[in-house]
Amino acid sequence: MDLKISAVKTYLNDVFRSIFRYGKMPRDAEGQSFAVFNNLFLHIHPVKVTRHSLKPTYTFGLGLISAVLFLVLIFTGVWLMFYYIPTVDEAYNRMLDLRSSTNFGFVLRNVHKWAAEAMVVFVILHMARVFFTGAYKPPREFNWVVGVFLLLLTFGLSFTGYLLPWDQLAFWAITVGTSIAGYVPVMGEDIRSFLLGGDIVGQEALIRFYVLHVVILPGLMLVLLGVHFWRIRKDGGLAHPSENEDASAGGGE
Amino acid sequence: MREVKMENTHPRDPKKTYGLMELVKGTKPTVGLKPDKMVFTWPHVLIREMIIFVSVSALLLVAAFFIDAPLEAIANANLPPNPAKAPWYFLGLQELVSYSALVGGVVIPGLIVTVLILVPYLDRKKVGIGIWFAKERALANSLFMLFLVVMLILIIVGTFFRGPNWDFVVPWEAVKGH
Ligand code: HEM
Repeated sequence: MDLKISAVKTYLNDVFRSIFRYGKMPRDAEGQSFAVFNNLFLHIHPVKVTRHSLKPTYTFGLGLISAVLFLVLIFTGVWLMFYYIPTVDEAYNRMLDLRSSTNFGFVLRNVHKWAAEAMVVFVILHMARVFFTGAYKPPREFNWVVGVFLLLLTFGLSFTGYLLPWDQLAFWAITVGTSIAGYVPVMGEDIRSFLLGGDIVGQEALIRFYVLHVVILPGLMLVLLGVHFWRIRKDGGLAHPSENEDASAGGGE
Repeated sequence: MREVKMENTHPRDPKKTYGLMELVKGTKPTVGLKPDKMVFTWPHVLIREMIIFVSVSALLLVAAFFIDAPLEAIANANLPPNPAKAPWYFLGLQELVSYSALVGGVVIPGLIVTVLILVPYLDRKKVGIGIWFAKERALANSLFMLFLVVMLILIIVGTFFRGPNWDFVVPWEAVKGH
């Protein structure tokens, strides 16, 4: 009997090790290093980081919070796609259904909505943090540029999502918003009707905004986020005071 | 200061051989950082990431239970609200557009994006890196703060102080009028 239990244990341990090669909770330097660089999901991290970058008052976690909000938005967004139909006849009814007949449908929609609003705020705060800590200086110039495009994508995602409930708020906000595109000299009207697929916000606009919102913009966002995180590593981790010309002044940890 | 042993920070794998592969110039920020200024990602970074992940999700869930996302009547092209407002983060632009469509809607936003992209190529001096509001960067930081504050004021005006026909209203009076 005892023999059998220990055989099962060894077997289960082998299975576990086939997934996580370096055992359960790494306790020594070797284990801690392997745990990070042998795992696809952890491997976007370096094995070690500076203490300075972990001080809560340095980054305030703003970039990370933006990334978490984006994950939440993907999760709730895909879930919402099971209920939503992008037609002018159905879209609004589906919003009402989420409120009344879908279990916890209102929570689902509310989480998506508040995470989206929060993401706009936190991405802007993150940009401000990067600016006020001079973290865009060489060699991080290009990652700042990637960041500007992430900011534009965040606006784009929020704006295209705004139309989808197809209520008065959505319709008129997008009517006003896209009319701004019409002010571009010469080709303004062409840009506007390209966005809307017509002269007014209607079925064509809804399907265009929908495809942008659920496929094109999130896809671009994922790629650019991959570049953003990759660059953080290639630029040597987060900016550190020892990179300053007069590094002796900055000390830091 | 605690002494740091080479074996602890750079463990040797007995199955591997080690040799000098390459000499690099010391331009990477990690070069010159003493090992005791570094900590392991596992667990120091991962635990913080977990905490942020869990708290953000929890806060969102709580907010979602108590505050409903707005939903007005179904869209109707014949019933324009007065005023029709863009989403809040574009209300600064809408405010500018109300002065001049071309300048506010095209020129200024275009300039903002262009200058934002150029920032790191215009300001390259390696001072004040990794330090909040470094005094060597007082000028750059003040300009950026000014930019943020102006945008914020425009958004607040567009959100709360604009009524029918985009006329200036005082929010508390608008409430009284109803
Ligand atoms: C979807 C939006 C974005 C996400 C999810 C994101 C995520 C992150 C994360 C997780 C970090 C690590 C440090 C931290 O947490 O603060 C970071 C660093 C950085 N981000 Fe972003 N970011 C976004 C947008 C932006 C924007 C708008 C800018 C600037 C215009 C920017 C520029 C940078 C730079 C330069 C760094 C390196 C900072 C340093 O070395 O201290 N990012 N980003």
